[in-house]
Amino acid sequence: MAARNGKNGLLEKWRIDEKPVKIDKWDGAAVKNSLDDAAKKVLLEKYGYAENFNLVDGRLLICTISCLFAIVALIWDFLHPFPESKPVLAICVISYFIMMGFLTLYTSYQEKNIFLVSVQKDPAGMDLNHTWQLSSSLKRFDDQYTLRVSFTDGKSKHTREQEITKSVGAFFDGNGTLVMDQFEKCVSKLHNTLATEKKTK
Amino acid sequence: MLSLDFLDDVRRMNKRQLCYQVLNFGMIVSSALMIWKGLMVLTGSESPIVVVLSGSMEPAFHRGDLLFLTNRVEDPIRVGEIVVFRIEGREIPIVHRVLKIHEKENGEIKFLTKGDNNSVDDRGLYKPGQHWLEKKDVVGRARGFVPYIGIVTILMNDYPKFKYAVLFLLGLFVLVHRE
Repeated sequence: MAARNGKNGLLEKWRIDEKPVKIDKWDGAAVKNSLDDAAKKVLLEKYGYAENFNLVDGRLLICTISCLFAIVALIWDFLHPFPESKPVLAICVISYFIMMGFLTLYTSYQEKNIFLVSVQKDPAGMDLNHTWQLSSSLKRFDDQYTLRVSFTDGKSKHTREQEITKSVGAFFDGNGTLVMDQFEKCVSKLHNTLATEKKTK
Repeated sequence: MLSLDFLDDVRRMNKRQLCYQVLNFGMIVSSALMIWKGLMVLTGSESPIVVVLSGSMEPAFHRGDLLFLTNRVEDPIRVGEIVVFRIEGREIPIVHRVLKIHEKENGEIKFLTKGDNNSVDDRGLYKPGQHWLEKKDVVGRARGFVPYIGIVTILMNDYPKFKYAVLFLLGLFVLVHRE
């Protein structure tokens, strides 16, 4: 019991979920990532949706298979020195680059800019789960962050989208600390607009 | 205690994101490996890119030059041509010119090499008791070169701590940095 508490204690110290997010305000990638993470937090914690990992898992699977091809090539070449290993190496190299092609296609067309797929479980448990998707874009060296929320009705499979574009300066203070309240307000507004649309339809 | 702020991003990651960071690192290493193995298959040489380590071929090649090799079976080895070979039991490839060839009717050859800038032939370098090189010792023939770039490789080999430090820092950067 004490040991488990000890391990949890270390894990608690490692994870810093509660520490305010502070990033380098000039690093575009870090800004987008922190805004994406915050939007995720709002949807998952405030509204209690469950995250669906299928998209991410797909990407992880493709990467793992590619690395496996590389490992096979490495080990085979080590066990059977070069000239004998030529055919196996050729197959592994070609497969690897095909997998790379797959990965590019997957991230461009399947994942697009989506960073969250979440499921809103029907409280009555009547098996009509709605899907909320978040995607965003932030151009290089630009300050206009676009957040797109898309709602897919579980029954009609009809998808509605709403997006908002704002300058990142509205959410970060001068030091690069994310002002969660402002951002949460913005995301919630977007979410509620879509939710009420659902009710009026 | 050091302020490990640069690890903040990592600490906020969930299992899948951590997994992706490691895979990302793995893919970068794999890509480099696959390109190298791919070159090996394409050129037929077990070391398609070598660095000239000594000045024994000046003025043709200088220390630090990068050579691109091919090792096609059809290329005949003739006197006067430059070959890159490895002496049995040694790892370092040597870039010298062919001086003499003995050829059997079935195409098997034994040849002697010498560096342009050396005063004696390579018999002193061969294995004790070995007087000639054979086709199997050949790593390839130089098909193209880039001057000076190989100096980095020579430096990294002369100062292994520098090499490990650079690799460690690069690896750390890839693992910690989010795309």
